[in-house]
Amino acid sequence: MISEEYRGAKQWSRDKQAVFTVVWISFLVAAVGTMVFFALFDPIELTGLFDTDLEIGRDAGYAAGFFFFWILCALCSGVTAYLVRTAPKRDAKHRE
Amino acid sequence: MNKPQGASMYESAKKIYPREIGGRFANLSRLATIVLLGLFYGIPWFNWGERQAVLFDLPARKFHLIGLTLWPQDFPYLALLLIIAALSLFFFTALAGRLWCGFACPQTVWTEIFIWMEQLTEGKRSQRIKLDTAPWSWNKLRRKGSKQFLWITFSIWTGFTFVGYFTPVRDLGAEFLALNVGGWTLFWGFFYGFATYGNAGYMREQVCKYMCPYARFQSAMFDEDTLIISYDESRGEPRGGRKRSVDAKAAGLGDCIDCQLCVQVCPTGIDIREGLQYECIACAACIDACDSIMDKMEYPRGLVRYTTEHAIHRESTHVLRPRMFVYATLLILLCAGLVTSMATRTPIILDVIRDRNSLYRELPNDMIENIYTIKVINQSDQARSFVLGVDGVEGLSLDGVGTDDTVHVDGGSVLSLPVRVRAHRDDAYGIMTIQFSVTAIDDESVSIHEDSRFLGPMP
Repeated sequence: MISEEYRGAKQWSRDKQAVFTVVWISFLVAAVGTMVFFALFDPIELTGLFDTDLEIGRDAGYAAGFFFFWILCALCSGVTAYLVRTAPKRDAKHRE
Repeated sequence: MNKPQGASMYESAKKIYPREIGGRFANLSRLATIVLLGLFYGIPWFNWGERQAVLFDLPARKFHLIGLTLWPQDFPYLALLLIIAALSLFFFTALAGRLWCGFACPQTVWTEIFIWMEQLTEGKRSQRIKLDTAPWSWNKLRRKGSKQFLWITFSIWTGFTFVGYFTPVRDLGAEFLALNVGGWTLFWGFFYGFATYGNAGYMREQVCKYMCPYARFQSAMFDEDTLIISYDESRGEPRGGRKRSVDAKAAGLGDCIDCQLCVQVCPTGIDIREGLQYECIACAACIDACDSIMDKMEYPRGLVRYTTEHAIHRESTHVLRPRMFVYATLLILLCAGLVTSMATRTPIILDVIRDRNSLYRELPNDMIENIYTIKVINQSDQARSFVLGVDGVEGLSLDGVGTDDTVHVDGGSVLSLPVRVRAHRDDAYGIMTIQFSVTAIDDESVSIHEDSRFLGPMP
């Protein structure tokens, strides 16, 4: 017999699990995406594409790129996770 | 009448207090922690010649790895390296299960050191549980406070070290001591430090259970011959407590005395005796725990041990099996490819861009002229002289380069040069392919070429 201390209530709720999974996975994908993107493009050359007086350094460019990818990925997988959610099985209550 | 038990599913996670255990695998994991963290915190401080040995200089878009300097153009190497890393993970998972999780994953390694700091300040498992349930007192404040002090200091150092891989760490250290660290450096330092603090101090096993993608798909690499940590059910059951003097066989008992030590030491809070579970990070703490009990009971060790499904069911285990051959062959091919391409890599890059504004120019002396911008990137650390050449059309000549068509490029820099290429109009008509080449003067084997187009009047 396992003492109560270890049993039962150590599950995360589904929502919490979904939020953290989305944040973490999109973080990993954004890291890879940033790496690939900035290996191909130099942020300084990219700012030249816009007709503004946008003057940002490379490190700010990298940071902006990373957060852009992170938010984009989180948005994508977050919406997906939300849309594929299904209701808990109706008889789940009575099964135990 | 009866409250559905399912309701407990939605309670917040219960804190796990892993019990400390010594033993063979605990020593091994301590060794892995010391080596890996030693490498992480130590590497930035090593110098190679004038500069930091390992420096990912993002502002300059150059990666320094000991004697090697990688440019954005070398990205395929990085991609290849990542593929090799992923394949190695598959290979070792199929062979030996979750070795990565138990001994090498940063999450495990940092959690281990954070738990060590927790033990140092809050005491052993039972003391920690007592402290958490006790009302606030001077003692509790002192213990919790010193734990937080250790954790936060260590996290700041971790964040600082992380940034030190991207900014020269010695300069950073001086700035740090003068409390004069710049914006983005400070931001990323805190970002990484805070992630370490949160993940290793609080999230711990929940990262593995709920967030880690590898933990969720590693079972796909498993088969009956994969090394796993397992409880030998046929030997242990029926479990039950007994005195040391009791003859277990006569009493109808298996070797498991149901002391629950294996459960108490588990950092993910599972019971290994229920079989292989995806929460198991293969840290082997339960093996150490069970072995210590078996020793006390004077039973043979290995009731919980590294084994395979086949071995547990008294069948033979095959190390050499098709999937191992596939992974190994791919790994060897990719590694060989990486090594050869690195070894034969010429440390120069030549880019030729044809002037887009004009097709060609007719010169008075019946010559046709095309204009190009040539970029020579010297990837080595020393300044070098190169001979530029152009070939592909009869009597082609190069103008605007300098004496003897020689250019001088500083170490690790880019030379951008407008050049004019001329040919006689009898030889130059239509669209022709020409070839630019650049060759190091001190070493003729360091040479590359690049194709471009030469335009002349239509015949």
